[in-house]
Amino acid sequence: MLRLLATVLKTGSKAEPVSIVADEHVLGENLRKAVTALCGGRALRIRHVDAGSTNAEEYELTALGNAYYDADRFGLSFVASPRHADILTVSGPVTRSMAHALVAAYEAMPEPRIVVAVGDGAITGGIWKDSYAVVGPVSSLLPVDVEIPGDPPSPRVVLEGLLAAVRSASRK
Amino acid sequence: MLALLYGGAFLLSGAAALAAMALARSAHQSAVTHALLILSGLFGLAASVGYCIELAHGVVRVVPVYATALFAFFVTPLSGFFLALVFLGVTLTSWYALGYLPRYHTHYTLPWLDFATSLFVLGMVGTLMAGQPFAFLIAWELMSVAAYFLIIADGSRESLTAGFRYLLMAQLGFLALLVGLLLLAGGDPFASWAAVAHAAAALPPSARLGAFLLLLVGFGSKAGLVPLHQWLPAAHPQAPSHSSALLSGVMLKVALYGFILSVGLLPAVPFSWAMLVIVLGLASAFFGVLHAVVENDAKRMLAWSSIEHMGLLFTGVGLLLALPNLPVGADAAALTAALTGFVILHALNHSLFKSGLFMATGAVVAQTHTRDLDRLGGLAQRWPLFSGAFLALALSAAALPPTGTFFGEWLLFQPLAIGFRSAAPASSLGAALVLAVVALVGGLAVFAFVKLFSVMFLGRPRSSAAEQAGEMPLLLTLPPLAAAVLVSLSGLLLFPLLAQPERVRLLGLPFASAVLPGAAMSSWGVVFALLGSAAAAAAFYRAFARRTIRITETWDCGAPLTARMQYTATGFSAPIRFFFRALVLSKKTLVVEPVVVTNPWIAKRRLSWATESFWEAGLYRPVGRAAIAISASVRRLQNGAVQFYLALVFAALVGVILFAL
Amino acid sequence: MNGMLFILQGVVTLMLAPLMVGLVRFFKARFQNRRGAVPWLPYVSLWSLFAKDMTITRYSSWVFRFVPFVLASIALVLAFVVPTFAYGVVPPFLSNLFLVGGLFAFGSAWLVLGGMDTASAFGNMGASREMTLAALVEPALYVSLATIAFAAGSWSLDGMLAHEAGLSWHGGALPLSFALGALLLVALTENARYPVDNPATHLELTMVHEAMVLEYSGPYLALLEYAAAVKLTVTMLFLFALALPFGLMHVGASPLAVVFWYIVRFVFASFIVAFIESVIVKMRFYRMQEYLSLALFVALAGLVLVLMQQFSF
Repeated sequence: MLRLLATVLKTGSKAEPVSIVADEHVLGENLRKAVTALCGGRALRIRHVDAGSTNAEEYELTALGNAYYDADRFGLSFVASPRHADILTVSGPVTRSMAHALVAAYEAMPEPRIVVAVGDGAITGGIWKDSYAVVGPVSSLLPVDVEIPGDPPSPRVVLEGLLAAVRSASRK
Repeated sequence: MLALLYGGAFLLSGAAALAAMALARSAHQSAVTHALLILSGLFGLAASVGYCIELAHGVVRVVPVYATALFAFFVTPLSGFFLALVFLGVTLTSWYALGYLPRYHTHYTLPWLDFATSLFVLGMVGTLMAGQPFAFLIAWELMSVAAYFLIIADGSRESLTAGFRYLLMAQLGFLALLVGLLLLAGGDPFASWAAVAHAAAALPPSARLGAFLLLLVGFGSKAGLVPLHQWLPAAHPQAPSHSSALLSGVMLKVALYGFILSVGLLPAVPFSWAMLVIVLGLASAFFGVLHAVVENDAKRMLAWSSIEHMGLLFTGVGLLLALPNLPVGADAAALTAALTGFVILHALNHSLFKSGLFMATGAVVAQTHTRDLDRLGGLAQRWPLFSGAFLALALSAAALPPTGTFFGEWLLFQPLAIGFRSAAPASSLGAALVLAVVALVGGLAVFAFVKLFSVMFLGRPRSSAAEQAGEMPLLLTLPPLAAAVLVSLSGLLLFPLLAQPERVRLLGLPFASAVLPGAAMSSWGVVFALLGSAAAAAAFYRAFARRTIRITETWDCGAPLTARMQYTATGFSAPIRFFFRALVLSKKTLVVEPVVVTNPWIAKRRLSWATESFWEAGLYRPVGRAAIAISASVRRLQNGAVQFYLALVFAALVGVILFAL
Repeated sequence: MNGMLFILQGVVTLMLAPLMVGLVRFFKARFQNRRGAVPWLPYVSLWSLFAKDMTITRYSSWVFRFVPFVLASIALVLAFVVPTFAYGVVPPFLSNLFLVGGLFAFGSAWLVLGGMDTASAFGNMGASREMTLAALVEPALYVSLATIAFAAGSWSLDGMLAHEAGLSWHGGALPLSFALGALLLVALTENARYPVDNPATHLELTMVHEAMVLEYSGPYLALLEYAAAVKLTVTMLFLFALALPFGLMHVGASPLAVVFWYIVRFVFASFIVAFIESVIVKMRFYRMQEYLSLALFVALAGLVLVLMQQFSF
């Protein structure tokens, strides 16, 4: 235990800097309203739904909690229930089996709510596009507010994309 | 005047019995009988109020009701209190029966049931008013036997078995009481209580101990003290619900009265006897509440909880008995007042909330036709008012603030935590151990009643029976609601009277303050603090929150959810069953029925589960087996050979002669 | 003066409760070599919850909607009743140890009702576990508090603090170390922290407290989270006020020392909670009986110790 503590003290903070470039032309009305209502998006709770991805996005999102990416320092936290969440992140093309679960999670979220499509699969359907097992991209079921492209997007890209959208919405 | 009222109440319950028989063919029989019982209850309550006013004015007297050489009935302050409990319970349950019994007119033979109920009430009132052992025993036996007919009222096999067990215990108890009281009275059953006390003082200590133990067995078996409690959870729930309410809520208090009365007849109680009462009380409280937690039958669970509360009351009485033997010094008056206050308040509260809970559960059973908690649920949405009353009663039974029961139990907690500090360290430690057990019992009681309410009323209906339950009629809602209101009032009105009589000087009550130095409690303060903060929270919410509500399905990660996926009562109490598995002896059996003969893997598997009582397995069965074994060996004497019988007669003759010499 | 202090104490607790939660998270982040969120983030997060709509399951009844208000009102009462930096100011009938214990149990009971009213197995499971813990923690809670009451000769939390403050540290807090240790174990249970529960878990099967509030959203969730924060704050501050009875507010105390020691205790308490959560793991739920009996026996040992001191064998 003591050795662990010593390591903790010696290591110090290793959080990587994140450059946020506010990008103003992609903003939708819903996102702007939501961020304004939620204290400028300084504390956002995220609920993630894997709608049929390869789990690559999930690995990257898990990394957001570690000491390098540390999403916590921007007030972003993952929560256990969609009823607690402000943001719904969705990854993967929406498969027929997961379509109901995705819509149920969205239904359970109280307004104002933000939907973020993470990864190419969620945005376009990726290489599974038009497959018989796939309903379609997330936007075919839910109104998507932010899109974070990449296959998978790296944790830093996710952070930057999310924060850029929120920051530019709050600046308006 | 008071004598007239008390006598009127007594006679009216007898009149109710006559009416039940006389009008047996009339359609209005049940209504008339219960109206007479309500009237009797109101007469009694009026008498109790009058008696209270007299006492408040400092007039302490015995109210003679009826006296001849054979029977004497009078009311003392002690029996006056218990009589008030009985009349309150009778009024509430008969009011409830007016709405409850008509639904069951094909199920029960109403004239006989009402006849037995009236005689039962008559017996209880008679027991409490009895002025000598003879009247006491007669009335007690009337009560016991009438109770048997209440238990077997529906005539089912289960009821008959439970009734038989009850009758066996009741008769054994009666025997113990008969011998114990006669021993104390020096063989004269017509002596007044004062004369009995006088005779008891002259007894040798061993006879006194014998009488004490016999009386403890007699009253303890009626009150459901461990290990003589096994019949109670089987018998009480089998009666119709208004009778269960009387049995559990009121009759147990009569047993408590009997015990207090008979202990009062003894000149002094040694410390070890008091310890016995405390230990038995704690054991009953603990086993009662433990089984209440794991029980799935709603009414049986309430019966187990009655054992718990009687255990707590006996603990209180035991502590009172132990008090004169402890060097508590200056705190003695306050300690006595606190423990007395606890017994009074808790007896009252228990009779109120337990009658209320039995009536409310009876109403639920009447609507859903099941007592099995695993098949109930989802009723709070349908019956908001009724569920509110039930919740209030359940929280009272769990002794949570701000219900009246909390303030009653506070009077027990207070002496335990700090009261014995000037006594010897051993008794302080003992008090702390008692406190730990009582706290554990309190915690488990919260568990039991939260389980009862939430499995019955919350979530989704677990069966079609619960789903199709109709409207709850007002006549079945009001009596439990009245009981809930009365429990709250007992905290607000009676607690200040008992705890801090100096605050209410104008009543001129002869009590000492029950609050020890260093402690303080105000029921009004607590209630207002909670209500005020609730109002503040609600105001804050109204002022700042968005308050737009959208109704959705339950969120469950997206899988289709059914009512069967909810926790059942069995699942809810599983952790407790696991933690106390040495005492709850739960047994799981896997029943495998093959579907395809050729393949053993394709089979129907059913897991059945049952709990068994620790005492049943550890005490009753071995005793039963031993009794049968002894009888079997004795039976060998009866071998049919005349010579052998002659030899036995001769041996007996020789034995008698030897003994006589 | 006393009335003012009484209100001040309650209001300060109510104001600073979310900060305690934030500080615990902040320290935990630092233990994980993260930078972590700012300690005042819970304020923002509570406020944004208040600005949200609510979604409620259609299987719930009026009980579900009552729960947040009951919990919030209990938190309000606790904030005023449990002394955190001043003594001799709470009305004695409110500062009663059994009242506080009873309010804890009352709160747990209502939270459990909320969890049972969701018709979801998650809420039910959390409810069953929370009820088990709340039931089995009672003996340890009462025995440890009764031990302190016994030493202090007073029944009120207020009086216990006054007694501790009146003694030198080695004469007051040290003999109570066992009772305080038991109280710490109890406080961790009551507040659903490690090793009893993981407040940051996302796995429903390991949840206790969190599972019951899964179905709450928006302002109701805010009320519940705030109530939990207040409960954590009052229990930890009271515990550390007993352990470090310096700079407690009373007549003639210098305000500077009071503020200084209050901040020290506040930071230290959150540090200790974070520390415990960083160096030990969560216990399996079915081992809780060992943990709770440990708490009870430590409390009883504390009682024996205090008795021996009192009667000086």
